[in-house]
Amino acid sequence: MTATIRKDELEAKIKEEKELIRSGELREENPLDTSPEFQEFLEACRRGDLRRCQELISSGVNINSKDQFDYTPLIIASLCGHYELVQLLLESGALADRGTWVGERTVYNALNDRIRNLLVSYDFSKSTDPLQEWASHLTALLGRKTPKTADLTVITSSGVTFDLHRFILSARSPYFYKKLVDAPETTTWRLPATIPVDSFTFVLRYLYLGDLPRDVVGPDSTSTEEEVFKGIDKLCKQLEIEKLWEAVLSANDRRLARQRYQDEVARAQRQVEETFRGTVLKHKMVVDTDKVDKIKWPHHNAMFADCILRADVEEDVEDGAVTTESTNGIGIPVGPHAVASDPAPAKKRKRSALYPVHKAFLIRSPYFETMFSSQFLEAQETEHLHIIKMDCVPEVLEMVLNFLYTEKADISLELALDLLYTSDMLLLDKLKTKAAQAISTLGSGSNVTVTVDKSKAKKENGNGKEEVEVEPINVYDVIRAAWDLNVQRLEDFVARYLADRLEDYIDEADFSELIQESALRLKARQETDTIELLDDIRYYLNERFRLRFEDAGVDDMLEQNDTELAQQYQREVPQDSKDGETDVAYAMGVAIDAAVKPKVGANSAGDVGQLTGEEEGAVQTLDGRWAEDELAADAINYQVLLDRIDAMLEKLKLDA
Amino acid sequence: MLTTTKQPIVGRAGEDDFDPCWDLLRQALIDVHEKNAGKLSFEQLYRASYKIVLRKKGELLYDRVKEFEEKWFRDHVMPPIEALLTKSLINITLVSMPNSTSTNERRQLGEKFLVGIRDSWVDHNTSMNMIADILMYLDRTYSTDNGRPSLWATTIGLFRDNILRAGLGGLVDELDQASVIFDVVNAVVMDLINLERDGDVIDRSLIRKIVNMLEMLYETNEEVQDERLYLTVFEPAYLANSRRYYQSECEKLLRNGDAAEWLRHTQRRLAEEQTRCETTISISTADKIAEVVQQELISAHLDEFLAMEGSGLRSMIDNDRLEDLAILYQLISRVDPKKEALKRTIQSRVRDLGLEIEQELKKTDFSVPQTAAAEGDEAAPDAPAKAQPLNQAAQQTAAAIKWVDDVLSLKDKFDNFHVNCFDEDIIIQSAVTRSFSEFINQFNRSSEYVSLFIDDNLKRGIRGKTEAEVDTVLDKAIVLVRYLTDRDMFERYYQKHLARRLLQGKSESHAAEKEMISRMKQEMGSHFTSKFEGMFKDMDLSRDLTNGYREHIRGLGQVEQHRVDLNISVLTTNSWPPEVMGRSAQEGTLGDCTMPPEIARLRESFYKYYLKDRSGRILTWVVTAGTAELKCMFPKVSGKETGPLSKDRRYELTVSTYGMIVLLLFNDLGPDEWLSFEEIQEKTNIPPQELSRTLASVSLAAKARVLLKNPMSKQVRPGDKFSYNASFVSKAIKIKAPIINTTSKVEGDEERKETEKKNDDTRKHIIDAAIVRIMKQRKTLSHANLVSEVITQLANRFKPDVSMVKVRIEDLLYREYLERDEDGTSYRYLA
Repeated sequence: MTATIRKDELEAKIKEEKELIRSGELREENPLDTSPEFQEFLEACRRGDLRRCQELISSGVNINSKDQFDYTPLIIASLCGHYELVQLLLESGALADRGTWVGERTVYNALNDRIRNLLVSYDFSKSTDPLQEWASHLTALLGRKTPKTADLTVITSSGVTFDLHRFILSARSPYFYKKLVDAPETTTWRLPATIPVDSFTFVLRYLYLGDLPRDVVGPDSTSTEEEVFKGIDKLCKQLEIEKLWEAVLSANDRRLARQRYQDEVARAQRQVEETFRGTVLKHKMVVDTDKVDKIKWPHHNAMFADCILRADVEEDVEDGAVTTESTNGIGIPVGPHAVASDPAPAKKRKRSALYPVHKAFLIRSPYFETMFSSQFLEAQETEHLHIIKMDCVPEVLEMVLNFLYTEKADISLELALDLLYTSDMLLLDKLKTKAAQAISTLGSGSNVTVTVDKSKAKKENGNGKEEVEVEPINVYDVIRAAWDLNVQRLEDFVARYLADRLEDYIDEADFSELIQESALRLKARQETDTIELLDDIRYYLNERFRLRFEDAGVDDMLEQNDTELAQQYQREVPQDSKDGETDVAYAMGVAIDAAVKPKVGANSAGDVGQLTGEEEGAVQTLDGRWAEDELAADAINYQVLLDRIDAMLEKLKLDA
Repeated sequence: MLTTTKQPIVGRAGEDDFDPCWDLLRQALIDVHEKNAGKLSFEQLYRASYKIVLRKKGELLYDRVKEFEEKWFRDHVMPPIEALLTKSLINITLVSMPNSTSTNERRQLGEKFLVGIRDSWVDHNTSMNMIADILMYLDRTYSTDNGRPSLWATTIGLFRDNILRAGLGGLVDELDQASVIFDVVNAVVMDLINLERDGDVIDRSLIRKIVNMLEMLYETNEEVQDERLYLTVFEPAYLANSRRYYQSECEKLLRNGDAAEWLRHTQRRLAEEQTRCETTISISTADKIAEVVQQELISAHLDEFLAMEGSGLRSMIDNDRLEDLAILYQLISRVDPKKEALKRTIQSRVRDLGLEIEQELKKTDFSVPQTAAAEGDEAAPDAPAKAQPLNQAAQQTAAAIKWVDDVLSLKDKFDNFHVNCFDEDIIIQSAVTRSFSEFINQFNRSSEYVSLFIDDNLKRGIRGKTEAEVDTVLDKAIVLVRYLTDRDMFERYYQKHLARRLLQGKSESHAAEKEMISRMKQEMGSHFTSKFEGMFKDMDLSRDLTNGYREHIRGLGQVEQHRVDLNISVLTTNSWPPEVMGRSAQEGTLGDCTMPPEIARLRESFYKYYLKDRSGRILTWVVTAGTAELKCMFPKVSGKETGPLSKDRRYELTVSTYGMIVLLLFNDLGPDEWLSFEEIQEKTNIPPQELSRTLASVSLAAKARVLLKNPMSKQVRPGDKFSYNASFVSKAIKIKAPIINTTSKVEGDEERKETEKKNDDTRKHIIDAAIVRIMKQRKTLSHANLVSEVITQLANRFKPDVSMVKVRIEDLLYREYLERDEDGTSYRYLA
């Protein structure tokens, strides 16, 4: 643990902070928020509803606000012990700095050490502004030579030139927007001779979100400070960027400057987003795929685009194996491949969506960066813009672009898995994490309950379960994607997900297959090696039931419940008894056999869950018996599930 | 809701996807190698490789690419290189056959070979970069996850394994089998660099390219950071080669025997190597190669160069070759932060020069009047040319001043070096300081001379100088004082000289005196200057006393006819040198000397006044230290109508107190009456020696000859007769009779011995006190410890002689202050 601040020091700090806030100089980091959205957000945090939280964060609720009791979402989440949610909040920019009132309180309130350590590890040094990376990319563009992304040259009277980006300039300055939209062929802009170069450099740093130097006059400049300031003033008016003055004035106070900078970045983000929508999305074109080649875009267009991305529209017809592999035979089969439910009525023409985009933002992905820096076709100068095919549906591409341009990730669960693959291919780790985050909201939220859903019958769909109706993603796909793409977080998630609903999956052929796959993932597997997935499932299974057992004293209960049953079964199926085991385990083993048998029968005949009969005060267990109360039922269920796993392993001839 | 069938990924789709993808990639690889990449679509290729990896075929892809590249390398890259490896190339590089080829030929051959290697490398590097771009996903996932070196590292490593490490396979018989192409590359590069060192022009950028190549290649495909081939192979070879080169160069320089040339050459070489590292090879080598040059050109033969006759360090110092010294200092600081060699030589040089000054001093004959005059000296205002014994003193003063001047100019010289050449180096400075103090203290009259120098300056030297100039003089003096170890000696001399300046009112500037003392105080502590300050205090008090007494007399209203103005100095015995106090005490006080009645009355009256406030004190009259100012009137000599003798002449005559007593006798005497030496002695009771001096001062020197002596000789002897000189004429109204004092300016040898003896006596007491102080505190202490402790304690007063300390310990044992311990090695304090 890091050094703790003494109470009196903390109090002094809080007082100081309060005073600054009262005097209006400093904005509160955790403002009071009584809006219904925020209340809902807090409620979702209390429940641990990952998905709802994710949605609300995406919709823009302030993650660092507090309610009338001074609770922030992070405090509630850590108080209620939702580890994944705490992680999500921290990753989304929730503040838990030691030495602030809120930060200390959060750490103090955390339910357990695991969460506490997580919070501490996100202390000030690490919890960066989520927009930091985005902003510094912008700043870096200013001096960046390769790959070439600049498309406007500013010439100054002294002969110094600046290579700038039309997209950014028009996003940040209304003046440039008007000017450049009116005359898209503009490639140079002349700085009036009356304005010192230093002034322009300063303004540029502001536009590109760089740090503003305290001394506006460079060391070897010929201009005086006054001239430079006058120049800045003129540029402000000309480029219509009045906010710049605030920046100049706040440059001397570190905290104010930081706050000002954050505001500015947020503003810039909005501006870029707006321009992004006004150019890239607005000018999206959908054409027939076979006509794509005929599209010629000039280099100087009103969208300032220097590149075109193409994504083929997904056809919800035909069998995917044919359609996706069409153009060049190596398309990544992201589109529908598995058997479609309803047969296609007719073959439609293929369509493609084209987006005019800007390399300046694309190169945030190492994929594009390499592409444009290399000597391959895409990096060659041509008369018309290159059209680069993307292996995803337009919706996913839009999500990717949105992220690249604005750092926002508004991920719909339906496409999350696609996005996971696409971002992996583009080597966008951050987006990949976000996609994984989105996926891990699966099954949480409104349909958290486990046993109730069980009663819903699964019908003709072979691999789907009840979530086929509810969840847009197949959990088997998720685990395979996790394996493919090395997403540990999703592996954990799936294991927990499966553990929570194991009774629904344990008997499926697909599940066995999955376990087998997991076992095969380890090359040259030894007899004694474990199966990773299964271990994880066991772990979560234990967690699922553990709390109750600890309180109730498992052993007593098991004995009470099962002794007579065991004897009964022993008589019926003596061949199953295993030597040398304790009475209880012995009894349980018998019980399992008993449990499996009816289950197998139930699979053909209907479902175990169909047995909905209920006696007063009693609870039905998984093997169809009636336990005295829920605790007893849980204990039995736990054992039943564990033993079914063993039985399955037996069948698969795997040891674990 | 898109819920029904969407299954976004086919993780396990057909095995046969691999082949079309691989075909595509393979074709691309060929295009890349053939520089046709411009028509390839990165997107397509990346997708192909991505797909393969996703289908878990990464390993296969990895191996295929590797295999392809190896084959390509064998078929297309190797042959041209092998063609370059001619017999003659290897002959001139590895099997050195001197004179078999001309320099030019050698260079052309070598450069051609390097160009071949470079071109091949550039192509390979570009291709591998592009391939790595395409296979980025493979490297990022498969290679990392499976712990294999990245494909990039593997393919780029081909160049190392297949070219650089390819054996020369018996191309030339003389070679051992282990030689590889790398050796040839190295040898060619070294050869070219050596050519450049010899003044040739070579293709630097070519070598730079080759070096870049070596920096990008590693020993193994794991690419361990410090296992770059440049570091593991090239650099050691390069350093060894350079070492050989500079070894032989250094020998050449030694043969030439010119240290100045050596200095400049070495400096140039160092700069050259630095530039070479910047432009031709890697900057990371800069420090190491500098180390080699330093070792070979500087450290290896440093002493020989320093000792070089006519151009070595000694001649640099003697001829003030500042530039050489500066370079030398820079070079030596590079190799030895302690600068031992330089320090040693400079130290001994300083000592030698110091001793030379002493020798010089002994040789110079100050008795030659010109010399004395040349020294600009009226050091002794008593006409040195005339009186031989007085001249002695003047000579000494002159010698002292010359010595001090020489030492100071020597000091200036080294200070100049220190600032301009040695970068104010603290090590050198302390070394020089030590040498200075060494030779200064070796010279046994240094304390006296330094004091004399100050005396001289304070008396006349600072006349008409600005404050700043006075300051520098004082600074110099302090610098010298700082070097002295026997400070008690200096203290004694200074006290003596100061006393004389004060009592005889010869001090030029009171402010300067005070300043000097405050500086000494800063330098040596207040105990050192307490006596001097006491002397000043006495003088101040005396002035007040005198004024008070005058007021007192006026108040009494006793206006006498022959009013005598008394100016009295009351001296505290302890503060003043015993020569002033002591001598009078032993040779005769007031009681022995008969004062004229008016003076005696005055004395009585003052004594009364003095005791009014300070009863119980005893005043001893130190007649020898006093002076008197006599206003005398010489009546006109009858018979002379013109000339100065024709009127009354009034003069103010300054003489010693004895002089006054003697002259007052003649007040009552007629012009032609004579008094014999004996008569005067009888009347005044002045000791004969003093009397003869006194008489000499008023009867011998022309400008103050108020008495006539019979016979007219240059010596005053018993039996001489004296008479009032009625025809005394002087242009000045104020006349100062030369004061011939026993406490003469510079001591003769005997006197000095005496001073030393006295000093030793004082030291004895100081040592005794120190020993007792230490033992009282420690109770028991071993002999060695005691001695060393005594020496430390007394260090800032003087440097005690160990044997003297021993004697004192013996003495204290005898006096039973101490006793020997049982074991005989330590002493115990007896309370």
